[in-house]
Amino acid sequence: MLSELRTFSIALKIARRDLLDLWRAKMLLFSFLLMPLLLMAMFGYMFPTTPKANLAVGNMPTAYPNIPVALVQMDRGSLANAVANQFVDIAQAQQLFRVSEVTSYQTARESIVWGTISGIVVIPDGFTAAITAGMQATVQVTVDETNPQIAAVVQSEIAAIFGVISSSISTTTMTNMMGNSINPAFLLEPVSITQVPLISGTSTTFQFLAPGFMALTVVFGALSGVGFAISREREQGTMDGLLVSPITRRAVIFGKVLSQTVRGLIQAFLILGLSMLIFGVRIYGSPLLMVLTMLLGVASFVGVGIILTAFAPEQETAQMIVILLQFPMMFLSGIIFPVTSLPGWMQWIGKAMPLYYAADALRKVVILNAGLNVIGMDLMILIAYALITLTAAVPVFEKAMTR
Amino acid sequence: MEDGTMVMKRTETHGVPLTTETMFPESSDALGSVSDYAIETHRLTKRFGSFTAVDHIDLSVRKGEIYGFLGPNGAGKTTAIRMFCTLLTPSSGSAKVAGYDIAHQANEVRKRIGLVSEKLIMYPRLTAFENLMFFGSLYEIDQNSLRERTHELLDMVQLTPFKDRVVGGYSSGMRQRLNVIRALLHDPEIIFLDEPTTALDPQSTRFVRDLVKELKEMGHTIVLTTHIMEEADELSDRISIIDHGKIIATERPQELKNKYKSDNLLDVFLTLTGRELRDSASDRIPMRRVMGRM
Repeated sequence: MLSELRTFSIALKIARRDLLDLWRAKMLLFSFLLMPLLLMAMFGYMFPTTPKANLAVGNMPTAYPNIPVALVQMDRGSLANAVANQFVDIAQAQQLFRVSEVTSYQTARESIVWGTISGIVVIPDGFTAAITAGMQATVQVTVDETNPQIAAVVQSEIAAIFGVISSSISTTTMTNMMGNSINPAFLLEPVSITQVPLISGTSTTFQFLAPGFMALTVVFGALSGVGFAISREREQGTMDGLLVSPITRRAVIFGKVLSQTVRGLIQAFLILGLSMLIFGVRIYGSPLLMVLTMLLGVASFVGVGIILTAFAPEQETAQMIVILLQFPMMFLSGIIFPVTSLPGWMQWIGKAMPLYYAADALRKVVILNAGLNVIGMDLMILIAYALITLTAAVPVFEKAMTR
Repeated sequence: MEDGTMVMKRTETHGVPLTTETMFPESSDALGSVSDYAIETHRLTKRFGSFTAVDHIDLSVRKGEIYGFLGPNGAGKTTAIRMFCTLLTPSSGSAKVAGYDIAHQANEVRKRIGLVSEKLIMYPRLTAFENLMFFGSLYEIDQNSLRERTHELLDMVQLTPFKDRVVGGYSSGMRQRLNVIRALLHDPEIIFLDEPTTALDPQSTRFVRDLVKELKEMGHTIVLTTHIMEEADELSDRISIIDHGKIIATERPQELKNKYKSDNLLDVFLTLTGRELRDSASDRIPMRRVMGRM
């Protein structure tokens, strides 16, 4: 018991020293604080947010407002004019597109090549004539396919605008043909869909992604931090000073784990703060459970960090090993892409990583106000990971340091 | 043995199995050593893959002596010292340091030794005082005594005015003085000095050498590795020369010089270990073929 207390007390001293070291390294501290803010800002703006709703045309959320597109109006008939005007009005009111009128398709295409616009809408000759004759008219759309993400957005948003325009033309036509006795909306769309959000109030897609990013940042910090800390101390010689003193190896490991946990939590709270302030993310669940999940996330990873990097002869190798693990983890743990979209064997890899469980638990706590009963299994898996990897890390560390 | 001449330990006995107990009967008491030796090894070996860095060495370092441990680069000095300090596990053989087995009683060994290694064991972003307090706190010393001792040691090496400066800004001499007192915080019985004066100016070198002498006078055992033969000659009571992982000579410095009929230790060293470079692959090209031709 006394020796355990001493181990803990030494671990605290090691952790305190590590944190003091970080505090003194101003440039490192600056990058340490900036990294999660940058990551969060990047992801926060990258993923869709909800723009101002316009009841006249329905609500069209976009992550990419005011994309530049060209409108080429070949038909100068009255209907073509009306449709073109309506397109421009909706696009600008909803801040979907910044529309510039161009005289020919060829000129517009060159603008795509130059990268000044991302799409072309052509109202071809015969548009007015087709509609007047009671036939289906066509609008041509070309998108900049060199940027698949933007191309998909442009395509779907143009389709959405013309959906609104088509309904309006249909409604007018039906009313003209059948008078006011019918309900055009019923004929056009007998069944409509109303989305009921999972959480009340306005929310953004980022609300659902933020907990995953928090887990990712904390875990990445722990994984790389502990590995670098050990390899740096080895390289600069201070590890000898620790190992030549009568302290247990567990105390060294525990000290590193403690300091990395504190560092991880600082970054996580920065992310949370920024997400709440700028991106309107809300915590629906218990903050205590949130911290507990993050702590277990860190605990489940530091052992892995030690085992993987203990034998690295220098910092550079340790860094490469950590990156090797970080990349698959980032994409396979269900933080950015859902695990179910992956092939079976990849899903297994994803689910073998503790980050999957940390992110899942954190998401449920933060967004759905889930309690221990819901995330219990996730936490148990994280505890099992922590116990197994930290138990294995002590002899591995000992062996690596004295081989 | 009493006259101070070195004694290579016997490694074989007639029909008696060679165990730690039979080799070191006088120091087998787990409570501590009653031996005259601060360090005793028995066929101590360290292999790294197929390379044998330390090859079945048997040596004894007497309590209270300065033991010069010399050898060319890569001869096995640092590896042996790292084993004595429990920083490396022996591949085979055994060693007792301060009466305790390095493999099985490592923590007891650690309480009784101090290491001044080639590298500065100091955190560059911490001040001298913070560094000393941190390393001192790893030993079982109460905070008040540690603080007092830290101040005294800083005074002793004339670093008190600079105690609140970060170590990263120290000169080489200041760093090494600090490195030495870090190893003395817990008043160890045995102090390992691995090239303590390398790259120091003459003033700092003299300062460190005088410290070593004072430590010996106070009864500490010192194991010193150095490439400066004059330093080994001046400080060491006995010298062992290790080459290719094996100890090839152990004598008092004067006896070594007498034996090899030389008045300086460098010649003796080169006679014993050879003049060729240890880390070169081909014959030397004469300088005149390279220089002065452009």
